[in-house]
Amino acid sequence: MTEDSQRNFRSVYYEKVGFRGVEEKKSLEILLKDDRLDIEKLCTFSQRFPLPSMYRALVWKVLLGILPPHHESHTQVMMYRKGQYSDVLHALKVVRFVSDATPQVEVYLRMYQLESGKLPRSPSFPLKPEDEVFLAIAKAMEEMVEDSVDCYWITRCFVNQLNNKYRDSLPQLPKAFEQYLNLEDSRLLSHLKMCSAMSRLPYDLWFKRCFAGCLPESSLQRVWDKVVSGSCKILVFVAVEILLTFKLKVMALNNSEKITKFLENIPQDSSDAIVSKAIDLWHKHCGTPVHSA
Amino acid sequence: MAQQANLGELLSMLDSPVLSVRDDVTAVFKENLNADRGPMLVNTLVDYYLETSSQQVLHILTTLQEPHDKHLLDKMNEYVGKATSRLSTLSLLGHAIRLQPPWKHKLSQAPLLPSLLKCLKVDTDVIVLTTGVLVLITMLPMIPQAGKQHLHDFFDIFGRLSSWCLKKPGHVAEIYLVHLHASVYALFHRLYGMYPCNFVSFLRSHYTMKENLETFEEVVKPMMEHVRIHPELVTGSKDHELDPRRWKKLETHDVVIECAKISLDPTEASYEDGYSVSHQNSARLPPRSADVTASPYVDTQNSFGSVTSTPPSVSRPMSSTPGQLPPPLSSPAPRLSAEAPQATLWSPSLVCGMATPPTSPGNVPPDCSQPYSKAFGAPAGGKGTPSGTPATSPPPAPLCHSDDCVHAPLPPPTAAPPRKEERTDPARPCLHRQHHLPNDRGLEELPGSKGAVTLSDLPGFLGGLASDEDSIEKDNEEAAIYKELSEITTADTEPLAEPLVPRGGFDSPFYQDSLLGCPRKTPSATTSAQGASVHPEPLNASLDKLGPDTPKQAFTPIELPGGGRDQSPAGSGEHQTPLETRILTPSPFRVPSQRGAGFGSGQPPPYDHLFEVALPKTAHHFVSKKTKELVKKMPGNAEEACAPSASPLEVLDRLIQQGADAHGKELSRLSLPSKSVDWTHFGGSPPSDEIRTLRNQLLLLHNQLLYERFKRQQHAVRNRRLLRRVIRAAALEEHNAAMKDQLKLQEKDIQIWKVSLQKEQARYSQLQEQRDTVVAQLHSQIRQLQHDREEFYNQSQELQTKLEDCRNMVAELRLELKKANSKVCHTELLLSQVSQKLSNSESVQQQMEFLNRQLLVLGEVNELYLEQLQNKHSDTTKEVEVMKAAYRKELEKHRSHALQQSQRLDTSQRRVLELEAQLAKKDHLLVEQKKYLEDVKLQARGQLQAAESRYEAQKRITQVFELKVLDLYGRLEKDGLLKKLEVEKTEAAEAAEERPDCCNDSCSDPVRGHSDTVSGHNGETRPPRPGSTRGGGGRGGGGSSSSSSSSQLSTPEKPPTQRAGPFSSRWETATGEPSTSIPTTVGSLPSSKSFLGMKARELFRNKSESQCDEDGVTISSLSETLKTGVDMGMEAKTPLSPDGPRPAPPSPDSVGQLHIMDYNEAHQEHS
Repeated sequence: MTEDSQRNFRSVYYEKVGFRGVEEKKSLEILLKDDRLDIEKLCTFSQRFPLPSMYRALVWKVLLGILPPHHESHTQVMMYRKGQYSDVLHALKVVRFVSDATPQVEVYLRMYQLESGKLPRSPSFPLKPEDEVFLAIAKAMEEMVEDSVDCYWITRCFVNQLNNKYRDSLPQLPKAFEQYLNLEDSRLLSHLKMCSAMSRLPYDLWFKRCFAGCLPESSLQRVWDKVVSGSCKILVFVAVEILLTFKLKVMALNNSEKITKFLENIPQDSSDAIVSKAIDLWHKHCGTPVHSA
Repeated sequence: MAQQANLGELLSMLDSPVLSVRDDVTAVFKENLNADRGPMLVNTLVDYYLETSSQQVLHILTTLQEPHDKHLLDKMNEYVGKATSRLSTLSLLGHAIRLQPPWKHKLSQAPLLPSLLKCLKVDTDVIVLTTGVLVLITMLPMIPQAGKQHLHDFFDIFGRLSSWCLKKPGHVAEIYLVHLHASVYALFHRLYGMYPCNFVSFLRSHYTMKENLETFEEVVKPMMEHVRIHPELVTGSKDHELDPRRWKKLETHDVVIECAKISLDPTEASYEDGYSVSHQNSARLPPRSADVTASPYVDTQNSFGSVTSTPPSVSRPMSSTPGQLPPPLSSPAPRLSAEAPQATLWSPSLVCGMATPPTSPGNVPPDCSQPYSKAFGAPAGGKGTPSGTPATSPPPAPLCHSDDCVHAPLPPPTAAPPRKEERTDPARPCLHRQHHLPNDRGLEELPGSKGAVTLSDLPGFLGGLASDEDSIEKDNEEAAIYKELSEITTADTEPLAEPLVPRGGFDSPFYQDSLLGCPRKTPSATTSAQGASVHPEPLNASLDKLGPDTPKQAFTPIELPGGGRDQSPAGSGEHQTPLETRILTPSPFRVPSQRGAGFGSGQPPPYDHLFEVALPKTAHHFVSKKTKELVKKMPGNAEEACAPSASPLEVLDRLIQQGADAHGKELSRLSLPSKSVDWTHFGGSPPSDEIRTLRNQLLLLHNQLLYERFKRQQHAVRNRRLLRRVIRAAALEEHNAAMKDQLKLQEKDIQIWKVSLQKEQARYSQLQEQRDTVVAQLHSQIRQLQHDREEFYNQSQELQTKLEDCRNMVAELRLELKKANSKVCHTELLLSQVSQKLSNSESVQQQMEFLNRQLLVLGEVNELYLEQLQNKHSDTTKEVEVMKAAYRKELEKHRSHALQQSQRLDTSQRRVLELEAQLAKKDHLLVEQKKYLEDVKLQARGQLQAAESRYEAQKRITQVFELKVLDLYGRLEKDGLLKKLEVEKTEAAEAAEERPDCCNDSCSDPVRGHSDTVSGHNGETRPPRPGSTRGGGGRGGGGSSSSSSSSQLSTPEKPPTQRAGPFSSRWETATGEPSTSIPTTVGSLPSSKSFLGMKARELFRNKSESQCDEDGVTISSLSETLKTGVDMGMEAKTPLSPDGPRPAPPSPDSVGQLHIMDYNEAHQEHS
């Protein structure tokens, strides 16, 4: 109740008139003011609204469990995290897995591998596909988060979330993709099926890497807001929207290989619009998430 | 090729004279035909036949089986197309179809039929035409349904050929035309019989054309006079005729008979199914009417009748009718009836007949005028002129005709001469005779046409005349000589007349005639010259009458009667006797012989006769004066005739054929000059031509013969069927008779049964009566008994009512009794009660008395006491006052007490409220505290998790290090020298010790200790090599020291905990032991001072000071446990880490424990 009183009474009308996000920052600040942050509310918020970039890292860290909900312990926990980061980095350096010349992304990967006990015997061992996924995500993350410790931790937890929380739902996404594409544009779907391209679409790029490397980071982080806040379904809609946006080009292509190639390297200029539309589409099909409380 | 050669051999062997060889070869051929389905063999056979006309091959070909018929037909079709082989092919076809092969139905589809028709339409050779027409006529009944397609072809052929008969296109020999005419006549019959409507319409359309009118008048009309109106013309239609269903029911012979039925011509007609009567009538009438319409042959039967009757008639011409009756069984009756009416009925025809004479006289006169002996020449000439037919004009032609018209010529000769002579006599009877004469002719003609019959006949009646045979021969010869002589005499004018005579003789009928004539002559003792003259005369007559057109004399009658009439009067007188004899002789014999088993008796002799008769004649004809040759031929013929197995028919066929052959041979043998001499001698006609005509004639004759034979066969078939019907009818009659007998028997039975039935009925009625009486009796008895029963019943009812009355009375009485009893009891009861009351009242009275006494006593006492009371009343008031005061005081006391009490209550209540508020506060506090605790817990957990993850990371790091170390060790070991190894190892160890030191900067102490322990462990656990390399002393000591140091290091906070409480001291003792064994204590002690503990203490102190004191101990313990939990998670397990698996489980457990314990204890505290 106190929150409501502090809020601008016009906020209701802003939304009605179409100014979105005016009050969002404020409401987020209100949310963040709580000692013992309400994670559910944060989830709902980040699903409904785009996060202001200044709070994004904090919210992500909280949502990914890097920071506890208590403000008091933040510093301490962050200290722990940093310590862990430096320990691991040191260890890697000791065993000469990384050097100063090693690119930051690979350092993250090695650290992640070490922490998950999957460090190969030698740094020269070929990378596994999941490592590639990690690299892609880490690369995108590096762009979004400045601090390397934060970056490492967010990447690590993000990937862990993908591997644990979404382990079951990720393989279902292609099916859902087909379903929603059919709802949106069945002709396109039939065309794809005719070209037998459905099975060869870049699902790995879309759903395993969460469009890392596919969309520019500025728009990608809006997608990842949703992913971090617990909805991986947004990926499907982004994919659908990509196809819808480039429908004409896709329809013009008859070869499944060409289609795949094109989809793997889509033009970056319209990505913001794609993401906005995809989020709208997502809201349309899955309903606007409402905080149960 | 070998096979072909073989075939040739076989074929040549077929005609070998040895019978067995022939049979064998035939069998071989048949086998081959059975085995081989190809056309080759058949083709070869056909070729061979056409070449040689071998009988055996013919036999084989005509008996071909199903698959070969096609080849045969094809082959024949092929040959029919060729003019040269046409005739022989047609004759082969005729042979084949006359046998009615099983494949005859295929003929209608075979290409042969159209080509045959085409040939008939196009060909100009009369022989071929005649043969073809005969074949066609034979074929027609076999394929009646084929008419549909070819009907117009048939009609066209008919039209063409009939016009031929008249017009004689080209150089056709007259003599052939006679044959042709005969076949056309047969065709006419066949077509009219089979397709009357179509045919009539064809005739109508065809002969209404002017150019055909003459043909109709001359040719067709006469033909039509010999047919009845066909019933189909009335009932049928054109389409109906062609309907295959109509033909399906009819077999070939049925068709033939059908055709025969509509014919009025006795040679054609059949006499069954009641037609005979009409025939007789029609036949008989014409004679009456002087043969105006009917052919002379019609009345064969009549002739018999007449023949038999002739004797009387001859003697008494007018009374011939009665005399006729007895001898013939069937004929006389109709005759009788017919004759008289005929005269009247057929007056028109008579008129017609009358009308004719004028024409005939022209013919007759020449005949008459001619002397008997020299009849030929003059008559011929005469004939030619009167008949007015140009066809007859060429001398040879008429002669030939005369041959064909065998029948015709015969009678005239006999009749004519007499007639001429008898002209003086009144003519009536002669008329009759005239009819007979034609009849006779008919008889003769019939046999003549049916070859075999005549042959068989001949012996029959010749047998009778056997004695005269020789004389006949002689007569013949003589006759021939005479003829020749006469010819010679007349030859100058008519050279060709001569052949005529022999030819006439050549024909079998003619021979008969001549034979007949001869006997006639002998008895009559006429001169041989007369006999000779007999022959020519008929010829002339026939020539006159028939002209060239009809061999069968169908048309002759018209003229015949005339001639007959004219002649009859003349002839009757003089020649009655010869006539009689002549008539007598043939008829009786002929009838049986023709119809029945006439064949049986004298077959061989007739042949002999024939040959003797025929061959000389032929010889006579062709080589007129060479009797030697005749003699030569005779043996040859005799040989043939001797063939035992051959039927007369075959014999005849062969006879004729071989006759022709022999003839040919003879001719060939003759030197040309001689021939020429001969011929020139006789008239100079070219012999080769003559021979050819003769041969063709022979051929035609043979064809005709075969056709007639075919017809006969059909008749035979028909007869067989009829016979079967007769037999069946007889059987049915028998059956009927048997049934009738049975019926009679059954009727008898029925009568017997009826009688017995009546008896039984009587008995039954009697029994019924008896039963009735008994029943009546019984009924009366029953009635009586019933009456009795009713009476008894009534009685019983009465009794029952009485009984019931009694019962009722008894019941009433009983009731009364009961009432009385109750009354008695009641009274008794009342009595006892009364008595009791009485006693009671008595006792009450006593008491009353006693109480009254007491009352009195008490009254007295009361008075006494009242007196006393009045005395004592003043003392009571003082006492009451005192008591009141006491009571008041007491009340006051109590009141103050109550006040006091209420005050106390208030205070206590206030106190309670206070306490309750306090309680609520405390509860609230508790909740807050709980919340806070949880909050703290969460916070701690977050930190804990971070720490844990850090710890995990550390663990991983150490693992990596270990791995690395092990790796390095492995590498080291791989390197060769011990020393080097040692050196390196020490270095490595140092490096390893240094490294953790480096780490210590960032890492916490326990980590370092841990790493030390790890290294120590490594040193200890590595059994062989490290031990051996480092030695148990130095290194081992190092290890232990490190472990101890680690324990010291890891428990820097021990002292405070020891101070904290007894627990810790106890733990302390435990920690004195190897550090690894008790990890928990290590961590638990220092934590008391940790920030959590502090916080907790602060918290509790804030909330409630008083209680804190009380709960101090517990709180401390709680905080300790908390600490232990936290520490355990953070540090405590560091020593255990080397063991690997252990570290993981405790941490969650400890957290869980913490949670539970915390909560519970908090509860306890507050409660």
